[in-house]
Amino acid sequence: MRGKLIAALAATCIAGTAAAQELTVGYIYPAPVADVGWAKQLDLGREAVEAAYGDRVASVVVESVPEGPDAARVMNQMVSDGAEFLMLGSFGYMNDGLKLAQANPNVAMIHASGFRQTENFGTFTSRAYEGFYLGGLAAGMMTESNVIGVVGAFAIPEVVAETNALTLAVQKVNPDAEVKVIWINTWFDPPKAQEAARALISQGADVLFSLHQDTPSVVTVAQAEGVYVVNTGSDMSSYGPDAVLASVTHDWTDYFVREVGAKLDGTFKGGDERGGLAQGMVEVVAYSDDLSEEQVAMIKATEAAFISGEEHPFTGPVLDQDGNERVAAGEVLADPDIFSIDWLVQGVDGSIPE
Amino acid sequence: METLTFLLSGTLIAGTPLLIAALGALVTEKTGVLNLSIEGLMAVGAIAAFITVTHGGGYWSGLLAGGIAAMALSAIFGFVVLVTLGNQVATGLAIGILGIGLSGLIGRPYDSATVAPMAKMPVPFLADLPVIGPGLFSHVPLIYLAPLMALATWWVLKSTKLGLRLRAVGEDPDAANSIGIKVRRVRFFAVLYGGFCAGVAGGFISIVSATLWADGLIAGRGWIVVALVVFGTWRAGRIALGAYLFGLATLSGLLVQTTGVDIPSQLLSSVPYIVTIIAITVLSMQPARVRLNAPVSLGQVYHQTR
Repeated sequence: MRGKLIAALAATCIAGTAAAQELTVGYIYPAPVADVGWAKQLDLGREAVEAAYGDRVASVVVESVPEGPDAARVMNQMVSDGAEFLMLGSFGYMNDGLKLAQANPNVAMIHASGFRQTENFGTFTSRAYEGFYLGGLAAGMMTESNVIGVVGAFAIPEVVAETNALTLAVQKVNPDAEVKVIWINTWFDPPKAQEAARALISQGADVLFSLHQDTPSVVTVAQAEGVYVVNTGSDMSSYGPDAVLASVTHDWTDYFVREVGAKLDGTFKGGDERGGLAQGMVEVVAYSDDLSEEQVAMIKATEAAFISGEEHPFTGPVLDQDGNERVAAGEVLADPDIFSIDWLVQGVDGSIPE
Repeated sequence: METLTFLLSGTLIAGTPLLIAALGALVTEKTGVLNLSIEGLMAVGAIAAFITVTHGGGYWSGLLAGGIAAMALSAIFGFVVLVTLGNQVATGLAIGILGIGLSGLIGRPYDSATVAPMAKMPVPFLADLPVIGPGLFSHVPLIYLAPLMALATWWVLKSTKLGLRLRAVGEDPDAANSIGIKVRRVRFFAVLYGGFCAGVAGGFISIVSATLWADGLIAGRGWIVVALVVFGTWRAGRIALGAYLFGLATLSGLLVQTTGVDIPSQLLSSVPYIVTIIAITVLSMQPARVRLNAPVSLGQVYHQTR
């Protein structure tokens, strides 16, 4: 870890003085790069870029950058040190990044989870809901109590879409099962996430979903209490060898390599990348050995159908909690509606805070 | 695990670290020193305990290491406010921020690492009772010790010579000084004791309840501790009640969401804090009672003239 920091500092110096590389790429993460989690997945993207372009690129990494003035300072510094490609790893970096991109048309930027794009400012978002649909299939197959528990960070569209997708999947294989949701209203409070997990277990849940907890907090509870868990971010099966049913992970490597390559070729254009299973941006890994071969085969078949486009997680008829038909039979939920979803499907026991 | 069992055991698990740290803070504040660095002290205790256990130390050595690490940091606080007569509020905030940063720095190689849970020690016979057995009597030893610690703190402060000295220093340092009590020394040891308790509480969170380390693990619990001492009007019994009530309020907020009752979850998340504010407000409506028990010299710099 420390070595990397020194390497990053050294890279800054080199870029600032000699400009030995063709392109300096700056990476800004909102959290420290741990063994698992959001920042770790972004950092794997950096490693892939370095592997792909070798000496042509230099990397500057700054971790744990809070959204706000600190982020603005870090990105300004990177640009004035000669970085011509920035990866902004958090939604809240948007406004400062856009401003800087406008003032420096020669600098290309890619921004996580954002919704504004310009010529030199692109965004990337994952369709993690596709992965959670597959996790939901596994959960529906494995539950014996027919209660699935979801520990959700915040009820924002991304997390709501994931909750809906997994619920539809659970219902598909197990119409008797119900899904209970607890919003903990924080991105980061591991003990609280664990309390929520225990609360769900006390309500009979025997499969948990850990939606957007960056640490293995819920996974360790699942392991200790003998229930299953599907988690976000990285493969966490080493923290819960008996508990992890599947891990829904982000894989940004291909996308980062492609965008940095475009910048090197002079063809970079700020786009709106929304990748799912088909693009390899979302991957479901670490399926539990407790799933039978037939069950895994069924999940894989659904995965293949999502990739080929034959099937879609939000295929109608989809009813909301009040019984209103939100998606008509035979239709699928349109992209803008998925990324702004603010209602829960029928069968979810819980509500979206206003 | 039934709902009631969960509520009972969850309340104890959530309330115990708050109680341990708050009892330490109570002793510190009783001598007239307001230490706002609890959050940072707990964070340092948490990482020290976690590192100890990760490298093969036992859980008790881990808690001890947590206590000692936080005590070392609180010694800096004690030096600044007692020797160089720094402002207690500002120094407390600064040391608190230092502690949080330090814990993150030291803890980097351990981010997202986990430890095995501490072995439980069910109380014979009682643990076999339905509902309350698994709820109240199947825990790690520290959970049973915390209420005893509250009892001991109450007794020492109320009925012993040591308690009288501590209180005298907090009520009127000049008078205490005039009868030969070494005010600064008493206060310094009270600061160290408070630091030790905060460190043990932090260690409890990292190695006993959460069984993992992550930067920012304490997530505001140190501030709850500061509020609890006020909430409990500087009485050990009420502080214990407050700590468990706070744990219960947090859990109820989470549990209600699963019952389908349509209450906004942000409101539920804020219930413990609202309860704290209401309690403080109600208590301050009886100013005489609070004033009777709040250490008179709390937060004031004591400059020994003779």
